[in-house]
Amino acid sequence: MKKILENASKKLPSTIILSVTAFFIFLPLIGATEFSLRDGGPDKHSFQSYKWIFEQSGFKENLGITFQVTSLAVILNLLIMVPTVTWLHISGLKYRRLVEVVTILPLIIPVVALATGAQTALPSFLHNTVLELSFMYVVIAMPYSYRALDIGLSGKPLNTYVAAARNLGASWYKVLVSVITPSIWPSVLAALFLTVALSLGEFTLAQLLHWTTFPTWVANVSQENILGATALSVGSLFFAWLLLFSFTFFGTNKIDRSKDEE
Amino acid sequence: MSNTAESTVVVKGASSSRGALRRLIKLIPLPLIPLFIFLTVFFFLPIGKVALNAFEDNDGAYTLANIRLLFQDPYRLAFRNSISLGLISALVGSVFGLVIAIAIEKRGGVKLKKFIASISGVLANTGGVPLAFMFLAAFGPEGLMITFLKSFGIDLYEWGFTLFSFSGLVIVYSYFQIPIMIIVFSPAVSSLRREWQESAENLGASRFAYWQRVGIPILLPSFLASFLLLFASAFSAYATARAMTVGNITLVPLVIGSLLDGNVTINQANLGYALALGMIVISILAMVPYLFIQAKTSKWQQ
Repeated sequence: MKKILENASKKLPSTIILSVTAFFIFLPLIGATEFSLRDGGPDKHSFQSYKWIFEQSGFKENLGITFQVTSLAVILNLLIMVPTVTWLHISGLKYRRLVEVVTILPLIIPVVALATGAQTALPSFLHNTVLELSFMYVVIAMPYSYRALDIGLSGKPLNTYVAAARNLGASWYKVLVSVITPSIWPSVLAALFLTVALSLGEFTLAQLLHWTTFPTWVANVSQENILGATALSVGSLFFAWLLLFSFTFFGTNKIDRSKDEE
Repeated sequence: MSNTAESTVVVKGASSSRGALRRLIKLIPLPLIPLFIFLTVFFFLPIGKVALNAFEDNDGAYTLANIRLLFQDPYRLAFRNSISLGLISALVGSVFGLVIAIAIEKRGGVKLKKFIASISGVLANTGGVPLAFMFLAAFGPEGLMITFLKSFGIDLYEWGFTLFSFSGLVIVYSYFQIPIMIIVFSPAVSSLRREWQESAENLGASRFAYWQRVGIPILLPSFLASFLLLFASAFSAYATARAMTVGNITLVPLVIGSLLDGNVTINQANLGYALALGMIVISILAMVPYLFIQAKTSKWQQ
């Protein structure tokens, strides 16, 4: 009994700190949710502001644009990164350090600065389509996707996989798609989710390269209706959080389990 | 006339850069070429463009005038504001994050740690208009928090509090800065083994001596690295700054943004590049030591 009490009193300061932290994390969220449900005044609540969102003409259209940009970014990212990082692990070992350094660079350069250069330096045929954003998103997601794939491939007996598959007559394409990718599936998913999360919420490049995507549309429409803008913010926050949280919580579970199996 | 002169310059530049490209391609093994072409077109060329144009006047001649402008107001003020915002926000984020990371470690529990890691990952990526409106709704003049405090007789706005200020920005930024700190600093805290404290005590060290000789020297490099990362994150934040300020605080990313939006006087067409170059230099100064320390410490933290 005495020990339990002692333990409890030892843990008390950290418990207090964590409770206060939780309070400050959830308070703005609860405040914003309450605010977004207001109908006219602080005493009456309804879903009116959420209805307003769906009545806006730009809602569907810009959400569609953002989904397009995101899809292309994800496809490009996986097409470029999965073969490259796999090759680095199988026969490009001496280039790993170089690629590691090169892929971290987009993390160092502020996105605003990158946007300044991209405005004039991109190939001109890309300037006519909103999909130019996809290419830029692949670049800014690269530090994360490279690391996710690198972690997944480290410690996998890739040479054995490749030798076995090649001996059975598989082409390199087949090896990559049906042997290696499934074996690092959690890492591929991680790279995919990170790119999705980044593309869905990206504002800086879209705004500075003068495109309207869902996030920049939210910024514009937020000037018209404060309650509606809050509802939009709460809605998109919950959506992004659900996506990210489900990935980080269940995704890391998966990665842990695959480690246990080995 | 001037058009043809310009186009020959462009063609010349292209052919020489093509030659350089061919030489580079020979150095790079075939499987890496897609990655390097991609990065060249969408990363190195834009950054190179920034670095070159920063030193050019409107006619493409070499000049230091754009760079010199950075040291004059209002651009000097913008840099000063951005740097102080970065420093103060990094200080607030790293100190609170440090305390919380230690509390998480003490409270133990694998499940709690995992839950907090997921939450931190989510919060660290929150920003822009949604974050701004969330705080407006909670801490705005009619927000839940403000009315809640008012019912206790505390009127923050009467004390001169406002979210649309420098300190308001620091508060809003801490919503993603503290989680970033928890993510990057927790491995260092976990690496402090309980055995070390016990063996220090067995050898007769006081709690103070343990922290002075063991705890702090082990945590300090990671703390400094995390501080630098937080600085870079606040220094270059654009979306949240744009949503939170109403033109009352001059910050470098916002100035660049308004220049790119077309608010340029004719004789300063390349000023945006100079500002961007200034940002790149400051970010490199913060991020390179960060990555270096991270790489060193992560080896023994595993």
